[in-house]
Amino acid sequence: MTISRRVFVRAGGLALVSLGLDPLFLARAAFAKTRRLSPLSALSASDRPILVCLFQRGAVDGLNMIVPHGDRLYYEERPRIAIPASDVVDLDGHFGLHPSLAPLKSLWDNKSLAVLHGIGSPDSTRSHFDAQDYMESGTPGLKSTDDGWLNRYCEHDREHADTPFRAVAFGPQLPRILAGSAPSLAIDDLQAFGLRVPQEAARDRLTKAFEELYDGAGTGLLASSSREGFEAIQMLKRADPTQYRPAGDVEYPSGRLGRTLLQIAQLIKANVGLEIAFADCTGWDTHVNQGSSDGQLSARLRELGLALSAFTRDLGEGMRNVVVLTMSEFGRTIRENGNSGTDHGHATAMLVMGGPVNGGQVLGRWPGLEIDQRFEGRDVAVTTDFRDLFGEILARHLGATDLAPVFPGYAPPLARFPGAIRV
Amino acid sequence: MRHFLTVAAALSVASPLAAQAPGFTPRDSALHALNRLAYGPRPGEVDSVATIGVMRWIDQQLDPDRIDDAAMQQREREFKILSYDREDLAQRFRDVQRERQRLQRESSPPDSLSASRRGGTGGGVRSEFRELGGELQQLAIVRATLSERQLREVMVDFWTNHFNVFVGKGADRFLLPSYIEQTIRPRTLARFEDLLIATAESPAMLFYLDNAQSVAPGSSPPRPPPNLFARRRFGMNEMPEERREAQRRRPTGINENYARELLELHTLGVDGGYTQQDIIEVARIFTGWSIEPPDRGAGFVFRDWAHDHGTKHVFGLTFHDDGKDEGIRLLKFLANQPATLHHVSAKLCMRFVADDPPDGCIDAAVVAWQKTRGDMRAVLRAIFTSPDFWDARAVRSKVKTPFEFVVSAARAISADPDSTPRLAQMVARLGEPLYQQPAPTGYAETEAHWVNSGALLARMNAAVALAGGRLPGIDANLDAVIPATTDHAQLVDAVDERILGSTMSAHTKSVILEQLDDISDPTQARALAVGLALGGPDFQKQ
Repeated sequence: MTISRRVFVRAGGLALVSLGLDPLFLARAAFAKTRRLSPLSALSASDRPILVCLFQRGAVDGLNMIVPHGDRLYYEERPRIAIPASDVVDLDGHFGLHPSLAPLKSLWDNKSLAVLHGIGSPDSTRSHFDAQDYMESGTPGLKSTDDGWLNRYCEHDREHADTPFRAVAFGPQLPRILAGSAPSLAIDDLQAFGLRVPQEAARDRLTKAFEELYDGAGTGLLASSSREGFEAIQMLKRADPTQYRPAGDVEYPSGRLGRTLLQIAQLIKANVGLEIAFADCTGWDTHVNQGSSDGQLSARLRELGLALSAFTRDLGEGMRNVVVLTMSEFGRTIRENGNSGTDHGHATAMLVMGGPVNGGQVLGRWPGLEIDQRFEGRDVAVTTDFRDLFGEILARHLGATDLAPVFPGYAPPLARFPGAIRV
Repeated sequence: MRHFLTVAAALSVASPLAAQAPGFTPRDSALHALNRLAYGPRPGEVDSVATIGVMRWIDQQLDPDRIDDAAMQQREREFKILSYDREDLAQRFRDVQRERQRLQRESSPPDSLSASRRGGTGGGVRSEFRELGGELQQLAIVRATLSERQLREVMVDFWTNHFNVFVGKGADRFLLPSYIEQTIRPRTLARFEDLLIATAESPAMLFYLDNAQSVAPGSSPPRPPPNLFARRRFGMNEMPEERREAQRRRPTGINENYARELLELHTLGVDGGYTQQDIIEVARIFTGWSIEPPDRGAGFVFRDWAHDHGTKHVFGLTFHDDGKDEGIRLLKFLANQPATLHHVSAKLCMRFVADDPPDGCIDAAVVAWQKTRGDMRAVLRAIFTSPDFWDARAVRSKVKTPFEFVVSAARAISADPDSTPRLAQMVARLGEPLYQQPAPTGYAETEAHWVNSGALLARMNAAVALAGGRLPGIDANLDAVIPATTDHAQLVDAVDERILGSTMSAHTKSVILEQLDDISDPTQARALAVGLALGGPDFQKQ
């Protein structure tokens, strides 16, 4: 049953292109009617919208990432770890960036960076495991969902199904958010993708041998998946994304995140049909000695800010079709704990950046930090369901036709979109 | 119902004949049985099973305690983790937490957190705990590779997955070993009801699905509660002054998670016909089923103060205030509901017969379940003797899971893995790391969930590495399996017979021969032929 479905996705995508028809387009227009959209088959590959998701695993402290420096209670509750107002990179008089995120200020100024504050899950769990799971399955409170929302989007919107690089996760395994029946690729390292043989000639020969072996595998998932794999190897060889060096003087920070974003930029430049890229960035679980303007969290944010800044400068004009979204399973306690850290909280902040972004503003409703404004008396309350933001990006940026199958039982109506994407 | 019984009676007579049905040679039958009831044949095993008779071999596998497995028991002694009980592991887990706190307090240079996450710093206790985690995974692989009691190992994998617990969730890091050893393994071929009750009472499941913190609304402990729930489920690294505040967050009501998954995943199935109200009633019945804090061994405890003493109505049953026995009565009821019989039987048939199993084998399993009140040996025997199991369409119709692929490849080349987690890491690279499925669904039984292009390339890499004998910790003995020879036709025939059970397609044969054409070194030729055979499409199927 699943076999035929996946095969159909491939065949279906090709059939649509070959007929020159785009039946999904009419439906999509209902969602994005104010935005000038042409059928994707008419767009050149380099005009296709791209979404890059970074998951800040471990629950980032939204209050020290996007600082409510205009709020007296913020300073009262965090005598040791608050960011002094003099260090904050002010955004709008009330909120400001942690000083380590200063490299992103120019994006705010040119209105390609928006911040969502008070965003999170309607589920109250403070378990990393449960909350990450819900954010990836897209079904908060429901543990038995076995696929991820990005995969359900791919499964449902089939126009891109003609490239093995439509959805790529950077890492050794496919993350939960891309798990499911639509094809998606996990790439640990772009340079090492494929068969691991040191010499190129020997590698090509072995690849060819396996390709011939699988040519005899007939039909079915094994055959189609292997074909996708060899296609991907060939496309990579032809497009050679690693030939693309960072533009001008752009330098990515050392470490996994910088390397990953560099490789995402290379895939985008190589025009292999990338629509969704996903990567993890870890180290946000700051229970002890979190630090203030300097310290642990500051170091993590510095890497994030430098990597994102390098990515946007590297792509330059290419950012017009790219949206980068950060997400994290929940935020942290308003009050610092006895170890100069913070414990698991509720709402956090997310960053949305790129050409299509309605930037230069802090979106969502700020719930306030007064005791009676808090969730369970201690945490930042959730005023934006994460599905409202994710749904908006899918609909308005990627052109999703129908959010009902992506977020079953929820499907945010237009009115709930926080307004992160320009229409 | 009478109809079902008649059918079952007919099947159990007819099936041994079916195994020898036209089109099946004794070797075909032996290979099929070894692919499904075992993790594939070791060299020569197809012949030995064909010689003793496939039905006799199946009956032996259904009675594992009578199979001599002394060599395996000897190997188990290399695994330190088997010499630690739950209390030992709980103690080590707490040492690790304290060590992490100490390191974070003492030195907080920029990025110390991520450095410690990467394992850049860390004391002996932490590296030992990591090592034990690797051993836990590798132990499953070594057992599946070397044990003579193959069907038991297949069922351990099936039930561990059916009653999935994620090893990465807080206390489950140290609760999982005892879950595998004491909860699952002794009951793999027992009555379903006994296994269900054992999992319900297991600290690992109580923690994983949050029942440990499910309490009757308004209830409170007679004295200050043990600190188990107040802690973070991850990073239990808080100081006492934090605990006072944390205690205010002591659980104050029921938690429905276990109740929901019990009905949806463990027993009735998602279409089992229950309502949200049923889930709430079930959750009320299980209030008070909890665990002792880690410093008291983290064992099962029934907390009467946390139990909802009111009357519950669910599935037409009424539960008056009867403490822990309410839950036991409910579990026995659920274990024998028609929806449960069908749900679990269908899942077993997905594992043993086909991804989309025919009704015939499911019905046969259900009938056997009814007749024996869920004796898993009878249920499995009904599946193995059903015509659907022996249908030509079932043979080599399933794609091996990552675990099945790695273990069957190791068996095919007579590999003897040590206790380092090499093969476990290989399984992880193929997409299904052991005990690391966060969702309570476990890994799916159908191929779409593990067949993808990246994972297939990883299989080819794994095959080439295994055949090349370049993996430390894995003692591959290819000389004993396939003698090196300069006669390529002879070599490929040997690979076909010894590794693929004579199922190599003409296409595969010709591609491999072509690749060998200009290779004169016999060892190199053999490594290439074996690598292509293990990584090619024929070996992916079972």
